[in-house]
Amino acid sequence: MKAKPVVLIAVAIGFAVGMISCGGNSSTTTEQPAAGAPAGGGTAVDQNTAGTVTGTIKLDGTAPRMKVINMAAEPACAKVHTTPAMTEDVVPGDGGTLQNVVVYLKGDFSQYKLEVPTTPVTIDQKGCQYSPHVLALMTNQPLQVTNTDQTTHNIHPVPKNNREWNESQAPGAQPISQMFAREEVAVPVKCNVHPWMKAYIAVIGSPYFQVTGKDGSFTLKNVPPGTYTVSAWHESLGTQEQMVTIGAKESKAVTITFKAAAAAD
Amino acid sequence: MPEIPPQDDPITSRPMSLLVLISAFALLLTVAWSLYAEFFGLRPWRSYQDQFRVVYSEYLQKQIGQRKAQERTFFATPTYQKMKADVQAALAAAAPMDRELQKQIDLFDAQRAAITTGFQTSRGKVGAVTYDLEQTPESDKSGKAAEMKDLAEAKAQTYNVDWPTATGVESRKMTADDLANTFTSIMAQRAALVAQRGDVDKPAKDAQAALDTYVRENLPGLGSSDLAGLAQSVQNLDIKLRQINVNPPGTQINYIGGVGLVDRCQSCHVATDPLVVPVVMTVTKADLGLAKSMDAPFTSHPDPDLLKFHPLEKFGCSPCHGGNGRALDSVEKAHGRYEHWLWPLYYSANYNAGCQQCHASDAITEHAPVLNNAKQLYREKGCVGCHKFQGFDNQDELLVANRQKMLQMESDKKADQLEIPRLNKLGDQATNNDAANRYYATATNLTVTVSNMDAQEEQLENRSHDLQQEIKKVGPDLKEVRMKINKEWIPYWLQHTHDFRPTTKMPQFRLQSDEVQAISAFIWQSGITGPALPKQAPGDAAHGKVLVESRGCLACHSVGEGSAMVGGTFAANLSRIGEKDNYDYLVRWVHNPRERTRPYSPFEKRDLGPEDYAKHNLPFVFDLDHSRSPNDGHELVVQQPTVMPSLRLSIEDSRDVASYLMTLKHADAHYDAANFMDDPQLKATGKTLVQFYGCAGCHEISGMEDEGRIGTELTNEGSKPIERLDFALLTESAKLGVLPDGKKSPRGVWYDLKGFFENKLTNPAIFDTGKYKPNPQDRLRMPKPNVTATDIDALTTMLLGSTDPTLPPDYMYKPSDERAAVQQGWWIVTKYNCMGCHQIDIGQKSVLMDLPMYQGQDKIGLPPVLTSEGARVNPDWLKGFLANPAQSTTETNRNGVRSYLQVRMPTFSLSEDEIRTLVLFFGALSHQAQPFIPQKLEPLTPAEVTMARGLFTSTAAPCLKCHATGDAAHDKDATAPNFLLAKERLRPAWTARWITNPALIAPGTAMPSGLFKRDGDRWVFSGPLPGSFNGYMGDHANLLVRYMFQLTPEEQRALVGRTAASNSGGASDTGGKREARSGSRSAEHTPGL
Repeated sequence: MKAKPVVLIAVAIGFAVGMISCGGNSSTTTEQPAAGAPAGGGTAVDQNTAGTVTGTIKLDGTAPRMKVINMAAEPACAKVHTTPAMTEDVVPGDGGTLQNVVVYLKGDFSQYKLEVPTTPVTIDQKGCQYSPHVLALMTNQPLQVTNTDQTTHNIHPVPKNNREWNESQAPGAQPISQMFAREEVAVPVKCNVHPWMKAYIAVIGSPYFQVTGKDGSFTLKNVPPGTYTVSAWHESLGTQEQMVTIGAKESKAVTITFKAAAAAD
Repeated sequence: MPEIPPQDDPITSRPMSLLVLISAFALLLTVAWSLYAEFFGLRPWRSYQDQFRVVYSEYLQKQIGQRKAQERTFFATPTYQKMKADVQAALAAAAPMDRELQKQIDLFDAQRAAITTGFQTSRGKVGAVTYDLEQTPESDKSGKAAEMKDLAEAKAQTYNVDWPTATGVESRKMTADDLANTFTSIMAQRAALVAQRGDVDKPAKDAQAALDTYVRENLPGLGSSDLAGLAQSVQNLDIKLRQINVNPPGTQINYIGGVGLVDRCQSCHVATDPLVVPVVMTVTKADLGLAKSMDAPFTSHPDPDLLKFHPLEKFGCSPCHGGNGRALDSVEKAHGRYEHWLWPLYYSANYNAGCQQCHASDAITEHAPVLNNAKQLYREKGCVGCHKFQGFDNQDELLVANRQKMLQMESDKKADQLEIPRLNKLGDQATNNDAANRYYATATNLTVTVSNMDAQEEQLENRSHDLQQEIKKVGPDLKEVRMKINKEWIPYWLQHTHDFRPTTKMPQFRLQSDEVQAISAFIWQSGITGPALPKQAPGDAAHGKVLVESRGCLACHSVGEGSAMVGGTFAANLSRIGEKDNYDYLVRWVHNPRERTRPYSPFEKRDLGPEDYAKHNLPFVFDLDHSRSPNDGHELVVQQPTVMPSLRLSIEDSRDVASYLMTLKHADAHYDAANFMDDPQLKATGKTLVQFYGCAGCHEISGMEDEGRIGTELTNEGSKPIERLDFALLTESAKLGVLPDGKKSPRGVWYDLKGFFENKLTNPAIFDTGKYKPNPQDRLRMPKPNVTATDIDALTTMLLGSTDPTLPPDYMYKPSDERAAVQQGWWIVTKYNCMGCHQIDIGQKSVLMDLPMYQGQDKIGLPPVLTSEGARVNPDWLKGFLANPAQSTTETNRNGVRSYLQVRMPTFSLSEDEIRTLVLFFGALSHQAQPFIPQKLEPLTPAEVTMARGLFTSTAAPCLKCHATGDAAHDKDATAPNFLLAKERLRPAWTARWITNPALIAPGTAMPSGLFKRDGDRWVFSGPLPGSFNGYMGDHANLLVRYMFQLTPEEQRALVGRTAASNSGGASDTGGKREARSGSRSAEHTPGL
């Protein structure tokens, strides 16, 4: 069925007014709801018209050499690694691709009801490194932190727009459950006990995101027709963006290229 | 309207002449009367001033005569003559140059005078034209040019000057610039000459100053010429109204008139006017030959120092003394001793009342001995047990307030803790990141606030613990009466309190014998009975007596009866203690008076026992370190609420002391059996009576731990309207000046506050005289306090002065500088009777100082003088010392610092707050900066170490003869502390002052003065120097201090060896006192000393 625009606007206004009365901050009345606002209003994305954005993240040039991490201070972790652990600032994929890039769609999804996944995203502390090194989740999607090391870590996200927290986790301790309420690409995470440990958590307001793996590719499914910005974020190479317009049931491929030279910055 | 009948015209129909005549006479008489009143009748001060002029003149003439004779003798002394001659010689030597310089200066003055007119005129003209030029707009080119021309003319104009020179006068023509330059140059040259003349005259001026100082030191007071001048002005003394106007802005002293205060007291009390009797003089009635006169108000202020802190122009007279300062027409009116004046002049016995209004927050007020005594009495005699008085021991109330604060904070914290998630949620849902971050930041700040509250709460918890510890009762704990007291003695005591112990603090209650029985029964039956005390073996009473007389017990307690009484009055007289106490209990008490049989839980409102601890598998141990209840974790009362400290005696010594005390009794003492005390039917009546009489104000009693004070609050008693004091049937006789005993009151009418307070304190029941009160509990219940006439005067003084403030708030003595620490410290010092052993205030005597065992050469056994304690010791050390005077946790049966003293610094179990207050107090008394930062000392060079060692062990500086070294054999005869303590304990600057002149700091100290002598700006050792000092130019005292502050135990042992080798056989035997066994111990055993 087709919703009448008038009804949609009324619902949107009602939602906005509800938000305002909750916040009690009249100065925000004229502001657009931020991307970080919880998804929920509107109708579900129509499966019959939804399209797909696919693509590959390329790395132009040679990736800088990663450095060996000296874990002598933490023998329990050093033991875990058969080959020396390396830093993960720039990790190339197969065939000139780039790993650990957060790809997501920017656009106005306010008319859609976007389900927040209830399955937690897990970040593990293993061999005094975060696994994965870069991860993405949706706002208010549960994050689960586990520790498989025989040492105590503290997990300490240092967000710009979210609440900061810092909790210690002993070996064998229960997983820590947390979530981030606001879109932020990406929240740096560190362990104050082991200064070499770094991770990034990208918090996205929509479900259209993916972190590139070994093949450097991404597939964002179930995208409602419309024009979006494909944003690609890398921890040291910055952000690249491309516009894409998806028609009904259409699938479009996008290739985004990061310049390795930028790593020198 | 009815017709008015015609009346005769009174003017025409009546002869008025007689009436007029009478009126005329009446008018004349009235005029005469008013004239008389104006000049004589209402002006008694005129005759006073007249009389004063005569007697004071005579006095001054006599003084002048005496002074002249003294001066003649003094001026004839060779020293004076020589100094006088020096002055003359110096003057003569400087005279030619001085004259020459003066001539030049005079010439410059003349020259300046000559050019002044021209200079000022030219400067004026140039200035005026310049102004016009500046005012002409830039656009007006021609105008500007014209003004420029005028300016040039003004500058070029010449002035005729008659220019004086050294030889005559020459005519000069000078322009404006010439004049200005000349003027500047003259002034500069003149200033140089004046400075030069100062240098030339300096020797003569110095000689004159030396002479003046010499005269002032040897012939103090006013010189004969000053006196003569004074006598002259007294001859011409104006008979006039003398008044002081005090007009503090915007305030109303005494609330009179609203514009301030006018005191005319000096119109009669002429001698209090510093213009008439200079402050360096004092004049008494006796001086003026009027010793016997009852009507000669001519004494100058007897305490001129007081006027320095209370300048007349700020305080006037009546704010301190009372009285109606404006009234002049009679003594009675001026002194305010009439019905309608609310602030009558204080009688001489109550002078100090005037101090109390502003000094109510002081425990000790300088210059106010009567008031200080009163405040001590108010506590000691237990007045404070029934009558609240602001500022006095109110820890019980503070504790309640503290608990209230903690509850409040707890609820604030809960509210904040709820607020934090709410704010975070708002942040999560905010429409933009800025708003979100604002919410998150507020939430984060709140978490920090909450954690600060936790910190504050922790402080409040500590404060509660402290307050619990600070609460002391005036009388003993009655819960333990069954374990402590001879049962039959109790009813006797209640009935014969002052007979049994004439110096007791306990007042005598007015009790019927049935009341005595009921009270005794209740006290007995409510007492706890165990856990049983350990059975103690008998001790050595003879040794116990030695201990009582030597350990310092007598600083607070006395022994002996009547005129044989020896010791202090702060605590009980122990003369008959053997008649009432149980030996086992006494041993425990002497060993540690703070020890309780059972801890009390204010939360559960009961005394806990071993069973409570056993339930939680805990040993029955409770003390200041184990003060939480095993049942609920709340703070317990773990100590006896007594101020008596622990002397840290060994259990053997405690037995000896107790055995001695048990011998103190009357041989024929006999107490009747008191079986009624076990009668359970009396208990309830007894309880009612104990509550009625407020026994719990001074005693800890089972079930009455929370009883409040039953008496009136006395904080502002001095402002009570007379109508609210119930003179009852004595009202009429009070107004007639007849005392309750039928005699005439020496001061007449006593229907006033003073009369009420004095009679109430003498016999509180007096105002029941003639009343029909068949029920004993309808009678006035205040018991008869055990006070002397002096005590009554003191307490009356305090009450009279305890008024609502009639002075502006800034007159109240509430200092905010270091004096505040002094003010607070005195409350603690007097609470624990520190002055029983120590001299703290300069000139104050301790109780021990007056005891027979510390006279003559035995003075050496006295506790240290503390007048410079704050400057002497490191405050961090002092904190530790006050908490643990033994300076050890294992070897406690000793003095931590002065191991050689028999008298013992006891452990007071002071609260942290009390320790802090005392440390700040001593620091403030010695004007030390807060917080303490240790002084840095230059490290010693190897050569200096050699020198210092040499000096330390030289026969000329036998330091180690007297100072303890930690070697038991040596320390047996030591009379001074171990040098190893210096580093932690002392302040270097004080130590240097001490070793160079100890007698200045503590007159009578065993430490000799003159060890060093002044050489230029350094101290050098007075005796022969070791060879290593060859050519050393440093300060010897400073060298020794630096050495002392880095002394190690090894170094000291080496020194001892060297000293022993160089002075063999120096030690003397002091008679092998038995005390040696419990006295000194090696300081080396204590780490950190």
